[in-house]
Amino acid sequence: MSAPAPAPAMSASRPTPQLRWQSALPVVAIAAVAFVVPALASSLWLKVLTSVAIYALAVASIALLYRRLGLVSLAQIALMGFGGWVTLRLSYAWGMPFEVNMLAGGVLTACVGIVLAYPALRMRGLYLALVTLMAAGGFSILVNVIQFPNGGPGFTGFIVQSVGSMPRPALGQSDGAFFSYCVIVVALGFLLIHLHERGSPGRAWAFIRRSEAAAMSAGVNVTFYKIWGFALSGFLAGIAGGLLAGNLQHLDARSFPAAESVMLFALTIVGGAWGWLGAVIAAVLYRLLPAFLNDIGVSGNVAYIIFGVALMHAMATAPRGLAGQIEGAWKAIRNRGQS
Amino acid sequence: MKKITMTLAGASGLLLLAAMSTQAQAAPSCGLNNGQAATGEPIKVGAIVGETGPDDFSSAADSAAAYFACVNANGGINGRPIEYIVEDDQWNPEVAVQVGTKLVRDDQVVALVGSGSFVEMSMNAKLYEADGVMSMASACAVSECFESRNIVSTNEGPLPSSVGAAQWAVANLGSQNVVCIGINIPSVGQYSCGWTEKYMTSKGLTGSSILLDLAAVDLNAAVLQAVASGADTVLVNLPAALAAGFLKTVEEQGLKENFKWISSTPLYDADIPGLLGPGWVDVMHVNIELTPIDGTGEDAVNWRAIMDAYAKPEDPRDTFSQSGYLSAKFFVEAMLELDPAAIDRATVTAAIKGIANKTSDLLCGPYYVGDAPTHMPNHANMMVKVVADGFEVVGECTDVDSAYLEPVRAAEQALGIGG
Amino acid sequence: MSAYGLFLVSGLAVGALYALGGVGLVVLNRATGFLNFAHGAIGAMGAMTAWQMAAWAMPEPVVWGAAIGIGALLSLLFGRFVAPGLAHREPVVKAVATLGFAIALLGVMNLLWVTTPRRLSFTLDGLFITLGGIRITGTRMLAFGGGLAVVAGVTILLVTTRVGLMMRSLADNRPVAALLGTPVLRVETLAWGLSGALAGFTGLMFGGLVQLDPTLLTFMVIPVIAAAIVARLSSISVTFAAGLLIGVTESMLALYPPLAPFRSAAPFAVAIIALMWLQRGRRLTFAGED
Repeated sequence: MSAPAPAPAMSASRPTPQLRWQSALPVVAIAAVAFVVPALASSLWLKVLTSVAIYALAVASIALLYRRLGLVSLAQIALMGFGGWVTLRLSYAWGMPFEVNMLAGGVLTACVGIVLAYPALRMRGLYLALVTLMAAGGFSILVNVIQFPNGGPGFTGFIVQSVGSMPRPALGQSDGAFFSYCVIVVALGFLLIHLHERGSPGRAWAFIRRSEAAAMSAGVNVTFYKIWGFALSGFLAGIAGGLLAGNLQHLDARSFPAAESVMLFALTIVGGAWGWLGAVIAAVLYRLLPAFLNDIGVSGNVAYIIFGVALMHAMATAPRGLAGQIEGAWKAIRNRGQS
Repeated sequence: MKKITMTLAGASGLLLLAAMSTQAQAAPSCGLNNGQAATGEPIKVGAIVGETGPDDFSSAADSAAAYFACVNANGGINGRPIEYIVEDDQWNPEVAVQVGTKLVRDDQVVALVGSGSFVEMSMNAKLYEADGVMSMASACAVSECFESRNIVSTNEGPLPSSVGAAQWAVANLGSQNVVCIGINIPSVGQYSCGWTEKYMTSKGLTGSSILLDLAAVDLNAAVLQAVASGADTVLVNLPAALAAGFLKTVEEQGLKENFKWISSTPLYDADIPGLLGPGWVDVMHVNIELTPIDGTGEDAVNWRAIMDAYAKPEDPRDTFSQSGYLSAKFFVEAMLELDPAAIDRATVTAAIKGIANKTSDLLCGPYYVGDAPTHMPNHANMMVKVVADGFEVVGECTDVDSAYLEPVRAAEQALGIGG
Repeated sequence: MSAYGLFLVSGLAVGALYALGGVGLVVLNRATGFLNFAHGAIGAMGAMTAWQMAAWAMPEPVVWGAAIGIGALLSLLFGRFVAPGLAHREPVVKAVATLGFAIALLGVMNLLWVTTPRRLSFTLDGLFITLGGIRITGTRMLAFGGGLAVVAGVTILLVTTRVGLMMRSLADNRPVAALLGTPVLRVETLAWGLSGALAGFTGLMFGGLVQLDPTLLTFMVIPVIAAAIVARLSSISVTFAAGLLIGVTESMLALYPPLAPFRSAAPFAVAIIALMWLQRGRRLTFAGED
């Protein structure tokens, strides 16, 4: 019987070159996407990919609530609309830099998210989802009445006149520059989620998801962490809304019906709510695939049919979404390579 | 996107033309009319239509495509064929921006002709202005379409149609109090109903509005509100399907006889007389944007001939189709004056802006563009009434009398347009 | 009659539609645990098929039968082929899967029927009674009466019959019910079929009384869900009452100018307020994966 090999010297305090390489990889990849893509993509695909980036952040905000707290929000498009509204209103009112307006939009949308948290303290599962759906429905009516700001007077900032145009951020004036700007902001948003999940909120959320009773008895302030989850989710959705306003420079009140929020949630599940890859896949399905089908001449109605059938299939067969299937396949390939 | 390569259509058009020339029929007339297929370097022209969604506005692009096919079979633009690229914005503002960017920046179209959409104009107006490209639209339904520097339409939109209907009712039905039933989209409902109210006030009469949600379930309440307004005339300013639902509710309540009935242009649709039923014959009067579909003027006959020769049988022959034909025709006439070797976006934009005093029996007044922040060349219209199997003219071309048109008339004076 | 009375009666007439739709949703949810986002789309398909039958000059019973039959058929197809694969998933995922069905149906409808104004007319449209200054046509009374009949009938079915008991046990806990010998497939098929027939009838009513437009009818399901929410997706009679309340609220708000532009939001407002009221004082202490 051979003696076990001696334990390696304790060098865990110094990050190994492999670890440094692994943490640098995402940064390099993000930089590559942000700065190389605009040079390669045509104007159409650049705009589509900007949309994809923005909605990836919105999907991440849904996925955060779903995987960490087991809560469903069917109001994320409405929250984006709210964030976009605030961004537009502040831009026309005081002409502050885009970043200030966007952050203000995020913070105020976080407050709305907190308001949505209160039903979450009293009900769960489908009821909670439906309450958020009702909120989304109410928002769509509200925004159709007060409309998005276009430089008019008063609190609503709207007047029937020729089209207004909000200026883009100083660092993102052209389509290409704005794409890079969006990718970086979205990456920061993902980083924010990651930091939360690694920190005490993430641990608290995991505990709450497992068993609220146990969490409470362990001293976790369940109410506080639930509200924090909604606040973060709302903040990210608001930021995404601000980016959307910057992308189109003008928002249309008819773009925010309740059904879109449900669709986005559906695609979050299809893409996979358990990681950044799922968020990106969901955003690709939401914005890139329809644009591609439109570009190759597939009738919008045929695209609807394809989408609907694929959605039913995905719901029935892939619990961890497409990202889960991809990761599973990737792991299977690696395991086969190793054994 | 429907990428329509004109060479194929042009070839089939030639065959059709050959077949038709043996018949004693009005042959389509377009472009150079020399029967030679154009073979030079294609000129790219774009269009954005709202096809998939709550309604289908693509008939304008269909007829423009037919006109361009005819032109390509008849010598093109001094030898150069037109490559017509039509994109569908699916009634989605984000998609409208995407396809607009594609046409203007990727495809580098020299102009857009025949666009018809509810959302595209407001989203892309700034893009067209920034990139110096003109859009000769044909199916505009929102205020932004008429208040943008680089967009000009052959149709007139909801405002002249509503005010024109009210104006006719005041002059011919003795209306004193008009209630305008519109939709609650500000650039449509508040825009057109608001200016109708202003027109009534300017005549010392009364006007009011009731704005409905497009997806309204409760039409009863709107009917009750109309009664409560004390109006003697109801101006129905709704999309056709919602208007039909509203009128059915009116009939249900037996209130049809309590009012005089006028409507803006959406009810001018071949299906409507049958849909509304015999109860509305001689009761409903509709304002129309161009001249009647069954007109006998030169352009009316030519439009139908071109549709028969170059368009698909299922392409609608409606007002938007007439409008698309006109946009295409005026565009081609402007292009024919250019040097074919020097056709680029700058020269085309200048040529379009130079269009002035173009007349047609399809329009009530002259068409022109000019360089101005707003464009509404078509602001005179006719009235028809619903009869058993269609419509009958009851009001000839009348210019719309609204203060909204003051900047438009000032621009016309400066350009020396018509009287 | 005063303006309030007029709008009240009008609101009840409109509310009957919300009530009818909500009842169909709750029936299916109680029997299968699915909240059917495709309820509107199935109804729309039924309504469009009915219109097509009328356009082909078929007699009126065929028109009605077509709507109800197509509704039942589509619902059965989904229930038989797609729903079993989702039986073990959580309710939200089930609901979202029905959204896929709704979208696919919408695409099919737009392909089959070109977008153009259409109208559904019934002989009942010509009959009416006058209630306080406002006319209620036969069709509207049918919507109201039909809703009441469904409430009564389904309640009796679920409470007194064996089939109803099996439906309730299935919705409560499918694996255990199956173990106890409930013929799962047969009972669920019946539930889906019944719900689909109801959807077809509801679609016909909406198509005849509001607008015959596939997109509109499909997404009408979202305000209709509001009525079901108030009843916490379980009580059919409360759903019916909630639907009427929503209709009355939406109608009466037209009389109050500051809120009148927002009255389309009445379903959502009523649902949220009612639910918050009903859940007041409740704290979720022992929620979790267990």
